Amino acid sequence: MELFQYRDLVGALVARDLKVRYRRSAIGFVWTMLQPLLMMLVLRTVFSTLFQAKSAEVPQNYAIFVLAGILFWNFFSQSIVASMNSLRGNALLLQKLPVPKAVFPLSTVLSGLVNLVFALLPLFGLLIVTHHPLHLSLLFLPVAIFIAALFTLGAGLLLSPLAVFFSDVVELIGVLLTLLFYLTPVIYPKDIVPENLRWIVRFNPIRSILEVFRDPIYQGEIPPLSHLTVSIVIALLALAVGSWVFHKSSDRIPFYI
Amino acid sequence: MSEPELRVRLEEVSLSYRLAKQRIPSLKEYAIHWMRGALSYEELWALREVSLTIRQGERVGIVGRNGAGKSTLLKVISRVLKPSRGKAETCGRLAPILELGTGFDFELTGLENIYLNALLLGRTRREIDERIEGIVEFSGLGDFIRTPIRNYSSGMQARLGFSVATAWTPDILILDEVLAVGDSAFIAKCHRRLREFHAAGTTVLMVSHVVKAIEDNCDRCIWLDAGRLRADGPTREVLDRYAHAGTEPAQRPAGQLHLG
Repeated sequence: MELFQYRDLVGALVARDLKVRYRRSAIGFVWTMLQPLLMMLVLRTVFSTLFQAKSAEVPQNYAIFVLAGILFWNFFSQSIVASMNSLRGNALLLQKLPVPKAVFPLSTVLSGLVNLVFALLPLFGLLIVTHHPLHLSLLFLPVAIFIAALFTLGAGLLLSPLAVFFSDVVELIGVLLTLLFYLTPVIYPKDIVPENLRWIVRFNPIRSILEVFRDPIYQGEIPPLSHLTVSIVIALLALAVGSWVFHKSSDRIPFYI
Repeated sequence: MSEPELRVRLEEVSLSYRLAKQRIPSLKEYAIHWMRGALSYEELWALREVSLTIRQGERVGIVGRNGAGKSTLLKVISRVLKPSRGKAETCGRLAPILELGTGFDFELTGLENIYLNALLLGRTRREIDERIEGIVEFSGLGDFIRTPIRNYSSGMQARLGFSVATAWTPDILILDEVLAVGDSAFIAKCHRRLREFHAAGTTVLMVSHVVKAIEDNCDRCIWLDAGRLRADGPTREVLDRYAHAGTEPAQRPAGQLHLG
């Protein structure tokens, strides 16, 4: 595979991404960890005071529930937007060098992955501070993250050529991501969704990937095999569709830039 | 003795920039045009039915006016652009220098950019480690190599770019107007390197508006006119015909846009 020959390039692009993020601004590194925490605090306040949610509907230890959700969502949405920008951003290069174009979305998802791992540190801190039981299921997390990464890469490969062909796709996807954020039980438990709208949650593929990530942290259990299988199938399907679309459109990319 | 190995084979290659020129920049506009049924395209052919083969060790110059399709031809051979019609085949390791310093990051030092650039050319870190000293030496940048390249003059950037791109002996070297950079001492060094490559069996393809550069470096010359192959033969002959064609009307259909 051609990508394998360029593995060191992928590594260098990831390293450069992280350097820009962490070296240029003194608080860049802290910010990666702080942002989800602050967001969690805001949401917790909103949910418990403004909406005065019935106590039965607020999950136990909501802070952990929502922080885990936000970490997943940040990884997913930021990686997608970054991979769309990555092809556009390397426009000149793609007209001058025969580089396999997939290295750009791939490296953005990988650097998103590194950010996710850093952002897990404050989550673990919170688990300890709040005396949340530390289950062995946490050891399952690398598998869950791997599934999430495959899914995200698939979405990134699907959308990044579109962003080259049409300049407004990035904004459009931004709006769609906001919509998806609320359609996915990231910040609310799925049980509070009214009966007649449950199907949205049920058939939302992102929900499945999210739960595989969150259950080991929040519920302290490895998702059941059936659930796991579904999420793996979804992730592989996303990757297959994304790769296919990317491959099909990749010859046309230099013409549009 | 058997024939030298095949390096490039183009069969009836045509390339149209219709997509690029008729680009509808946003999804919104696309939808509007589509609803009106107004999605028409103008086809702009940068290459028309170009067929040629180039073998190992050949040194081929490409001449033609601005917009004749020279750079497009090099991009097709470099596998950057895929032909709209026809078949393009390139065998062997490429060193495409369509522009010196493509992919340079101005915030990084010269040394870091050597790595980045060579990685973009498909080298591995280990391969670069082995050659790094030679690359720095050839560039002649001395201590500047440790400073960010935003401090470099354009000549210095070009030197660095050429040093990286030619650090490994390629099967096919592709040069698009890049030999006119740097001071005369560096240009002499570049020409020496070209001769070394030639001795090692590298195929060289170059576009240049400087006739002398083609005379000095090429045995064979291709003349492109409005995307068509007008002549292909020994350098002297083709250059003579090209020089005399200045007074002839160009073979370019009306309405043809000039493409670079």
